[in-house]
Amino acid sequence: MDVEIKLTKKRAFSEKLFHALFLSAGLFAVICVTAIIILIFTRGSRPFMPGNEYGTYHFFNFLTGTFWRPAFGEYGVGYMIIASLFATFGAMLLGVPIGILTAVFIAEVAPSWLAKIMQPTVELLAAIPSVLYGVFGFAVIVPMINNFTPNPTGYSLMAVILVLTIMVLPSIVAISVTSLRAVPTHYKEGSLALGASHIQTIFKVLIPGAKSGILTAVVLGVGRAIGETMAVILVAGNPESGVPTSIFDPVRLLTTNIVLEQGYATGLQAQMLFATVIVLFTFILAINLTLSKIRKKAVRI
Amino acid sequence: METKFKIQDLNLFYGDFQALHNITLDLYENKVTALIGPSGCGKSTFLRTLNRMNDLIDNVKITGKILLDGRKDIYEKMDVIGLRTRVGMVFQKPNPFPMSIYDNVAYGPRCQGLKDKKKLDEIVEEALRGAALWDEVKDKLNKSGMSLSGGQQQRLCIARAIAMAPEVILMDEPTSALDPIATQKVEQLMGKLKEKYTIIIVTHSMQQAARISDKTAFFLMGEVIEFGDTDKIFTNPDKKETEDYITGRFG
Amino acid sequence: MQKRRISDYLMTALIWLSATATASILLIIVGFIFSNGWRLISPTFLTREANDTLRIVNFESESMVTAEIMGDLLVVEGIGLTLERDETYGIKVNHVAADAPGRHALDNAGEIFPIRRGQVLEGINEERIHGGTTLDEISTMFDNHSTFTFRIRQLGGGIFPMLISTLMLIFTTLLIATPLGVLAAIYMVEYAKQGRIVNMIRFAIEILAGLPSVVHGLFGMLFFSRILGLGMSVLSGALTLTVLLLPIMIRSTEESLKTVPNSYREASLGLGANKIQTIRKIILPSALPGITVGIILSIGRIVGESAALLFTLGTFARIPVNPATGNLSIFEAGATLTLRAFIEVQEFGNIEMASAIGIVILVIVFTLNLCSKLMTKKFGK
Repeated sequence: MDVEIKLTKKRAFSEKLFHALFLSAGLFAVICVTAIIILIFTRGSRPFMPGNEYGTYHFFNFLTGTFWRPAFGEYGVGYMIIASLFATFGAMLLGVPIGILTAVFIAEVAPSWLAKIMQPTVELLAAIPSVLYGVFGFAVIVPMINNFTPNPTGYSLMAVILVLTIMVLPSIVAISVTSLRAVPTHYKEGSLALGASHIQTIFKVLIPGAKSGILTAVVLGVGRAIGETMAVILVAGNPESGVPTSIFDPVRLLTTNIVLEQGYATGLQAQMLFATVIVLFTFILAINLTLSKIRKKAVRI
Repeated sequence: METKFKIQDLNLFYGDFQALHNITLDLYENKVTALIGPSGCGKSTFLRTLNRMNDLIDNVKITGKILLDGRKDIYEKMDVIGLRTRVGMVFQKPNPFPMSIYDNVAYGPRCQGLKDKKKLDEIVEEALRGAALWDEVKDKLNKSGMSLSGGQQQRLCIARAIAMAPEVILMDEPTSALDPIATQKVEQLMGKLKEKYTIIIVTHSMQQAARISDKTAFFLMGEVIEFGDTDKIFTNPDKKETEDYITGRFG
Repeated sequence: MQKRRISDYLMTALIWLSATATASILLIIVGFIFSNGWRLISPTFLTREANDTLRIVNFESESMVTAEIMGDLLVVEGIGLTLERDETYGIKVNHVAADAPGRHALDNAGEIFPIRRGQVLEGINEERIHGGTTLDEISTMFDNHSTFTFRIRQLGGGIFPMLISTLMLIFTTLLIATPLGVLAAIYMVEYAKQGRIVNMIRFAIEILAGLPSVVHGLFGMLFFSRILGLGMSVLSGALTLTVLLLPIMIRSTEESLKTVPNSYREASLGLGANKIQTIRKIILPSALPGITVGIILSIGRIVGESAALLFTLGTFARIPVNPATGNLSIFEAGATLTLRAFIEVQEFGNIEMASAIGIVILVIVFTLNLCSKLMTKKFGK
């Protein structure tokens, strides 16, 4: 009788132990995120608080400044914000239509042997590390632009947009193809039976039917574009100042700014890098929220 | 007749919904007791209280007592794992593990710490014989359990349960997923099994209950309406609801 | 009707155009990398150090030394060396006999630096050798000597250190990240009740997944390298990558855990097994294919990752070796293939080298991708 109760207690203890083990593993992710957010926000917000040991900086100047010259104590990310926005927007403007149309090709238009080849190829190409796109941009795209740019070099916003577009294409295509294929066949059959052409069916029925998946692809693409660093460093030019007024102007992005100075920044400069991260965070959050609102609205219709 | 399970005033709640109402019942040793009744009236739920499988679901509350061997409350005074080594279960859909036939049958004993290969061999053979499966699989013990036919898989699950040398075997509609011939084989098996074990079987088929069971309990809306000898229940039931169900007026 | 036909043709044309554009861009890039880098690809590329190594080594000969020209080679008896002439480098070592004293040559620091095939000879005793020296001219340098001081140049330009660094990084990262991810996933699927804790963990995973790798790199540099004092090292890089890969590992493990039918769990518990036994014996083995896919995806990500490693692993083209003991150490810095390719372009503008490294990277990544596709096909869910 007692033995059984002892067994129960012993078993209950070891089961609780394991439960705790698994729980801690799960909480590890939470701990990491908390640590990341705390570290970045505490360091990044100090320059704008009074009593910072490295000196205070005006937040407004930080956000709108167009010069980043640590040697002179100037820290303006304004021009980088604009550059990042332009770059992401441009990449989406090019990448989304081309991506969706390519997905339409693979899912609907291509003969099946061609589709069978293209799809795994695009998926495989989504796995190429970003640095290699940067190498290509550096060696091919920049010299190409150099041929017709009014600026002294080919390092430009245009180069950045082109590289980002190329990087974002495979993921947009892959997800859109899956979404298009997931649209129930009876939608397509219904449309065709009513006398619509294949093209009309694609644009009036299939693409709207795959809306949710396609928007997910766009969200992921935006995420990748705005967060991309290494490929872009090699083609952007990274000037210390200058709001890009034409696509041929060299640019410095929020992300590249962080990497360029990371190795040797100290004191106020280091804190400013964290501040740049905060700005980056805010933009990613804002874009994600907007896109998910658009998604919710679109899916409801 | 010895009482194997003594159920006293059992109530079961899923959250606010009461699934079992005041069940008081005696389940007898070495007999086949059938639980019949229309779908969703608590038969499976009741069956699962007997080996505390309901513990797996959140939000389940149980009041009342279930005494094993008429003496020990399985909820208060027993280690749940120990309980399950004494009360085995066979499920509706055959669910052999993705392992060899041998490993399937040896699973339970191994979990209890048995490692001696010779002993395991003995147990496996005995269990497979007890499930009337030995002759069919003795040459392919290390083939996957999933390679057997539906009926054989179910007998494998029975062998798996028997390997634990339980005292009670709970069966939750064990033949409802099987074809008639496999069903017949399993039913024949049950007649043999009751010599060593106490069998409680939930079944949708009244004909099956009539064929194989000694005692029958009729469930309706979470209550036991009537419980008694199978012959009596099916030829001369006391309650009107029982008679209506038996004669097919509903269900 | 006419109008619709024209717009239809237009759209079809646009569709074909887009698809062609996408396909060609991607093929051009891969083609570019292969065409620019293939010339450097060779077995020596894979096995050499990155930089040239210059050493002065000494060894003795037991027997009489004679040098004789045989065909294109200079055979030096007594020290078991065969030398050849190379157009680019001058005189190179062609063959070293098994019993050659040069195999145990000591450098000026007293450490062994073996003479090997492929090394360039730039000086014998007091004589210097340059690009134009012929085998004839050298043959006289060996006469009447029994001790030798060679000036050796071991050629670099290889990616061996990067291969070792990458392997060490993959191994260390997986060692830490896989158990963490699998255990966390087990919690989410087998233990957790839907509620605050689960939602909190899921939210955290979403955020981690959405962070650009720059941020991971900055955090890693700050926390693992500086605060924890690991400096630039394999361990620091591995920990940073663990945080980055956690969402991937957890998600793929979770998915495969979910495909295990509930009836297995019930049957196992019904037979008297406890929860841990059920997880260990039934659930994990069934979930193994999904976990493996997660691992393969992670390896692909590790190989391709750059921003997160720049300042946590470093960019040094060296084998992560403890200088005092000479053993591999995870506390030492190194550089992965991808990082090195980046440096080659950013600091040296060396497209050819970067492309050659790119070829190796592509081969690895494509193979991994193929493996994971085969795995999902074979275990089909």
